[in-house]
Amino acid sequence: MPRNLTSVWLLLASISLGSRLANVAAAPICANGQTRCRVLSLANLFDRVIQHSARMHGISNELHSEFQEQYVVPSRNHIGRVSRNCHTSTLLTPNGKENAQRIAREELTEVILKLLMAWRDPLWHFHRIIAHQHDLANFSSDKALEMSAMVHELRKGVEKVAEKMQTLGMISNSVSTLSSLEDLLPSDSGEWRLMKDHELLYCFRRDSDKIQNYLKILKCRIVPEHGC
Amino acid sequence: MRNVLELTWLLMLVVTPHAKGLSPPGKPTLTSCRSPEKETFTCWWQPGSDGGLPTTYALYYVKESSDLVYECPDYFTGGENSCFFNKNNTSIWVNYNITVVATNRLGSNFSDPVDVDVVYIVQPNPPENVSLSVMEDKGWPFLRVTWAPPRKADTRSGWITLIYELRIRSEGENEWETHVAGQQKLFNIFSLRSGGLYLVQVRCKPDHGFWSEWSATSQIRFPDYFHREKSAWIVITAVCAFIFLIITWLLHLNSHSLKHCLLPPVPGPKIKGFDQQLLKRGKSEDIFSALVMSEFPPMSSSSNIDDLLVEYVEVYVPEEREASKDLDSGGFKSETSTSDSDSGRGSCDSRTLLMEKCGRAKEREDRTGERAEQDDWEDARVDARGRTWPSVLPHLLRPSDGQIKARSDVNIAASGHKQSPARWSVEYVGVQTVAEDDVVILRPCGGREGCPPPPTFHERDYSQVKRVGSDDTLLLLQKLSEGTVDEGGARDASHKNATCAHSTTPMSGYVDTAAVFQMT
Repeated sequence: MPRNLTSVWLLLASISLGSRLANVAAAPICANGQTRCRVLSLANLFDRVIQHSARMHGISNELHSEFQEQYVVPSRNHIGRVSRNCHTSTLLTPNGKENAQRIAREELTEVILKLLMAWRDPLWHFHRIIAHQHDLANFSSDKALEMSAMVHELRKGVEKVAEKMQTLGMISNSVSTLSSLEDLLPSDSGEWRLMKDHELLYCFRRDSDKIQNYLKILKCRIVPEHGC
Repeated sequence: MRNVLELTWLLMLVVTPHAKGLSPPGKPTLTSCRSPEKETFTCWWQPGSDGGLPTTYALYYVKESSDLVYECPDYFTGGENSCFFNKNNTSIWVNYNITVVATNRLGSNFSDPVDVDVVYIVQPNPPENVSLSVMEDKGWPFLRVTWAPPRKADTRSGWITLIYELRIRSEGENEWETHVAGQQKLFNIFSLRSGGLYLVQVRCKPDHGFWSEWSATSQIRFPDYFHREKSAWIVITAVCAFIFLIITWLLHLNSHSLKHCLLPPVPGPKIKGFDQQLLKRGKSEDIFSALVMSEFPPMSSSSNIDDLLVEYVEVYVPEEREASKDLDSGGFKSETSTSDSDSGRGSCDSRTLLMEKCGRAKEREDRTGERAEQDDWEDARVDARGRTWPSVLPHLLRPSDGQIKARSDVNIAASGHKQSPARWSVEYVGVQTVAEDDVVILRPCGGREGCPPPPTFHERDYSQVKRVGSDDTLLLLQKLSEGTVDEGGARDASHKNATCAHSTTPMSGYVDTAAVFQMT
């Protein structure tokens, strides 16, 4: 009897251990074509990029508030006055709910990627300016650096999501790759260099909100069953 | 001429209103713009003074990156002094530059322009369908609050993300307790008072925007739950029992001192001439010598041998708890009970010698004087306290000679009569005579005969043990006294032949076989 018990315990232990190992092994590697794995991981990816974009927007909001106090008298609606258009105004982005829902998934993905692409250089430049200015507090410089890094990471994340969607067949392969996107962008006219800091921050705050909102809409169109 | 006319007009225009107090309108101000769902929005303004004339208001806006000026499409939906922008006219992430103009006959006045981006002016409606329910979690009740987002806000498509907050208070309180629920539409509240009435309100807010108004108050009464109170009682009972056990244990530990406190010991009797210390450590001879009073028995120094007889009876205690006396006179059983442990020992209360079954008297006669061996002792019982039942089995003696040698020696049954073994009975033994060497010769009071009185004894006599010998022998002091009839011996009346105590025969002497002495 004790021998039987021992063998049963051993069997149970081995089963649990094996299942644990299998889980650990399965998590990072999700082979293509597995149905269960596919759906879950895409939703997970979406959640991660959305969280990332939310954080990025939060930082831009904080920085904008700080600069707003310094340069512009706060109006009643907490909106600062923009004397110049944002350099991303030329991009065609949906400006309403119907527009955002009406355009194709591929277009939406491309818009997100273009936006992220457009802000890579200006933010990096902005951080360099802030770091060199002595009169500003250090935490502004840290935030600027973080913001710049986040744009970079977020773009990579969205590219991953786009790849995933393409492999899963949820979107067509018409979404341009990174290199081709760069070609499509208007040449770097350097308009953004003329913007003042607070204007730049104002524009980026808005664009980061756009990015976050577009990602949410995209997620609820593609994987609606997960928290929409 | 024309100039004069115009000047006059102007003068009149200027003078006349002043004369009546009319003026161009005051400056209006835009108070707020709000969007309930990030798809439409409404702006309100506060008019200035109207200058005494009917004044009209107009709202104009300019969109970002465009120079076209548009006028408000809808002045009525939002109420008075408002402008409502519907979906077609609303663009998100676009800066609106809005201005309100007040116009009357005398002039117009522009308000300060305001920049509005719809994303940042979202204030949703309160949440709807707030429902409360009481649920149970392993016997413990809790409150579950659920709600739905406001109807107009589109959260399903991801257009708006709302975070919720609820507050609760009980009926008697004034302060609300606030809980942040995040994006979920469900919240559990624990540790509420049973039997209380609770009021709950919920509100929501978009990512960046304004909090909505609190929803209408929902209320619920928490039912009474005895479960919680019962477990509290159980805990209290357990604690009390534990404390009680500890107190009991402490009392038990200190019981001696407590007893001394509450029930002081009764002082023992003091016996003159009795030394307790001696009793505790002394030898038996010393004790009984102490007990024996020098003047007792008070008798003259008569040398009559009959007056003062010292007799002794040897008592054998074959087994530990047994003292049986084997007198080949027969068995007799005497009962001695000492009154108390202090002074009873050593004294000799005359007791009746009892025969348990006097019917055995017959058998006795049949018995030969065989050795009553150990079988006969088996009925002997000695009570440790002093009751002794030294059952001396009836050794039948030769009734003819009637001589019984009252010796506890087993072998005393010199007579040839062998007795039937292992039956013991109680019967009286009468002292027939006292031999010279202080040997009491007993004879059984046979069933037929009765107890003939010994010649010299006419009365009831009590023997007093003078002392106890070293080999468990009793040294008896017998005193002459008036003989009386003792009928108490006839205890065993069930046996018909048990005429143990003949009424006419004065008992000669009672030997109190106080074989109780277990000198320990």
